[in-house]
Amino acid sequence: MLNKRKLNFLAWVLGILFGFLMSRAGATTYDLHAKMFLFEDFQLMIVIGVAVLIGMIGIWWMQQQGWHSIGTGTPIQFPRKPWQKGLLLGAFLFGIGWAMTASCPGTVPAMLGEGKLPALFVFIGIVLGTLAYGVLQDAIQCLRQRSSD
Amino acid sequence: MHIDYWPAWLGGIAIGLFVLLHFWIIGRPAGCSTGYGNFCALACKRIKFFKTGEYSDINNTRLWFLLGIPIGGLLSALLSSDPWHWSFTMGMYDAILPQTDTGKALWLTFGGMLLGFGARLAGACTTGHALVGGAMLNPPSLAAGVVFFGSAMLMTWLLFKV
Repeated sequence: MLNKRKLNFLAWVLGILFGFLMSRAGATTYDLHAKMFLFEDFQLMIVIGVAVLIGMIGIWWMQQQGWHSIGTGTPIQFPRKPWQKGLLLGAFLFGIGWAMTASCPGTVPAMLGEGKLPALFVFIGIVLGTLAYGVLQDAIQCLRQRSSD
Repeated sequence: MHIDYWPAWLGGIAIGLFVLLHFWIIGRPAGCSTGYGNFCALACKRIKFFKTGEYSDINNTRLWFLLGIPIGGLLSALLSSDPWHWSFTMGMYDAILPQTDTGKALWLTFGGMLLGFGARLAGACTTGHALVGGAMLNPPSLAAGVVFFGSAMLMTWLLFKV
């Protein structure tokens, strides 16, 4: 069991590794996104396919063996994202954004490190879009409270 | 900025092992888009959504994970044959994006807003749904993955072929 400071530090190191791997896998190279969606190049398709396969085998193994996390000292949690209202609409909008920017929330920070200025605007956009979702949730909560009064 | 990327199989194996390493060290699935809410919490203190649930303590691993990513990108760029430099070019996309710098910036910001809003509405992004959710064969994640691949394919086709 590590304290919060050490755990945050390890998360930071994992972030560095993730950025490096995203970059080296080709996920920060704009043309590879267009070529994947136009079926002209399969680099990113293979990357994600192989990664999912390795992940699948490893997660199954970890669950079988009941692995504990180094950071928390407790059994590793494998929570599954639930069906939530708007999931399909959200995914649809996300895909449009992906096609418009040739990037996603994980690759944008890595692109910034590579000196790619388009990523700066995409970053601002992602923060604004996330902010808009928070404002919407607050408004929904507010309306619910009012209708229950 | 040109990156000397690895063969696809090598990149895939490395990222697959990364997903497992993240589970082992942090004890939870890797994710990117949720962490952007931490920046929202810092930028705007009046929104209740960014004070509860995932965001009740924003000095968390998700924030530090996001802060690490640019350093990884920088290291990869520095170790590439092309010397590191600022760039505003986007390869094939330069032909189909607005031709003025302002237009391009607005286009990218709007696209980013769709990524940010869409990811929250769907619950996760490419990392959480496709990479990790796919590896867990989680039905909602698989559905989200199919839909965002589909709409991105459709939109890319509209941009380049119509």
